Amino acid sequence: MSAAGIRVAVAVEARKAIASRVMASTTVLLVVGVGVLALGMLLAAASGDEQVLAKLGPLAGVPGWAGLVGIVLQITAAAGVLAFGVALSWTFGREFADGTVAALFALPVSRPAIALGKLVVYLAWSVAVAVALTGVVAIVGFAMGFGATDAAGVGALARIPVLVVLSALIAVPAGWVATIGRGLLPGIAATVGIIVVAQVSAIADVGAWVPFVAPALWAIAPDAVPAAALLVVPTVPLAFGALCAFAWSRLQLDR
Amino acid sequence: MSAAPRFEARGLARTFRGGAGVHGIDLDVAAGEIHALVGLNGAGKTTLMRLLLGMLRPDAGAVRVCGVDVNRADAATWARVGQLVEHPLAYAELTGRANLEVAARLHGLGRAQLAAAVDRAVEEFDLGRYADVRASRLSLGNRQRVGLAGALLHEPDAIVLDEPTNGLDPAGVIVLRESLLRRAAAGAGILVSSHHLDEVARVADRITVVNDGRIIGTLDPGGFDLERAFFALVHGDDERRRAAA
Repeated sequence: MSAAGIRVAVAVEARKAIASRVMASTTVLLVVGVGVLALGMLLAAASGDEQVLAKLGPLAGVPGWAGLVGIVLQITAAAGVLAFGVALSWTFGREFADGTVAALFALPVSRPAIALGKLVVYLAWSVAVAVALTGVVAIVGFAMGFGATDAAGVGALARIPVLVVLSALIAVPAGWVATIGRGLLPGIAATVGIIVVAQVSAIADVGAWVPFVAPALWAIAPDAVPAAALLVVPTVPLAFGALCAFAWSRLQLDR
Repeated sequence: MSAAPRFEARGLARTFRGGAGVHGIDLDVAAGEIHALVGLNGAGKTTLMRLLLGMLRPDAGAVRVCGVDVNRADAATWARVGQLVEHPLAYAELTGRANLEVAARLHGLGRAQLAAAVDRAVEEFDLGRYADVRASRLSLGNRQRVGLAGALLHEPDAIVLDEPTNGLDPAGVIVLRESLLRRAAAGAGILVSSHHLDEVARVADRITVVNDGRIIGTLDPGGFDLERAFFALVHGDDERRRAAA
């Protein structure tokens, strides 16, 4: 697998991703959806809605930026993984669903390079989503007057891009499963599995050192997760990225 | 340009559950030759082509592509290959031209050669009207044209096309025929499968008949009544196998 091959694969995958609008529409859905949900929950909590207050748990009543960011992180820890997992399942699974995988054989650009190209574009996209969501939440916060009432708390916004990128990292197994399963649905099923494991463990307050759980737990209770535990999260994309490249190198059209 | 056989298969076998597959095939595709594979559905033509291109690993036997073991083929070897087996490289979200540009990059063409190669392909396959149309809006036949143009735009020496006339209109069939004849004349070795015996007779230098995963004979491209000769071979083979069972 040559560096030139990976460069070509990244360029080709970026072109497909931009033209398809799957990633653009997923970005809009996620960013706008999380923004609207967070704003709605904040307003409902302010009006004393008991159901919303119960859902927010310890976040209920936290004022200013910390409260807003806390709500955004809670939603993003689940919705972000779902959005990233579905997008990555599409990225890999569509080659099988559309039959285009046959055209990716017998090329000077190797199939592992193509798989890595897909992952590079996916991770670059996740950074763009992180920036967009942080921007939208900042706008919501300033619109609610936090700029004046909680100027010192604005630093809490920095947690958003961290969680968004961590959510993208733990969704990488969806690409491997979509490859092994030869389609989108196995990847989406894997994504749902990751979300269930992460959310159930986080609510039970266990698994700070489990890479799939640490981001969701950090979103709910940042003090429960040491910084070193978050640094373990990249082992997921490293391991499953390598598995992806291997699966594509050994791929056969035998099904 | 070296005159090594473009494809060589020796003792090639791959059996799927249920017994289908190919069972010991020897096959050569020489430089400058159009070699046609004909056979009924399920005879093993596509499996054979997939084995030649590394899409399947054989249970036994070996494949050489442009003189190189298919398992050791590097980027330089694959840059000499063009193929369309089953689905064309035509991403629904990309226009005809964008699909050709993607194909050109994947086939190893640099930015400097890309625009000219894509322009030539658009002209050769008469895709001008569809160059700026998304593939999702193209007819099956025009998607096939995009796929064929993308598979051939880097002027490969070794070409494998599985049922390339699928979906093509009569004008597209002629465009493809001329394209293959021109490339063979320039030294490419071409393996093509087809159900259209008349079309095969027009372009092929050799016609090999495949049945039940084995090569059972050849047809003379200049011969009279190819259809009768084809069925005589296939039915004769079926009867021999039944008698032996």
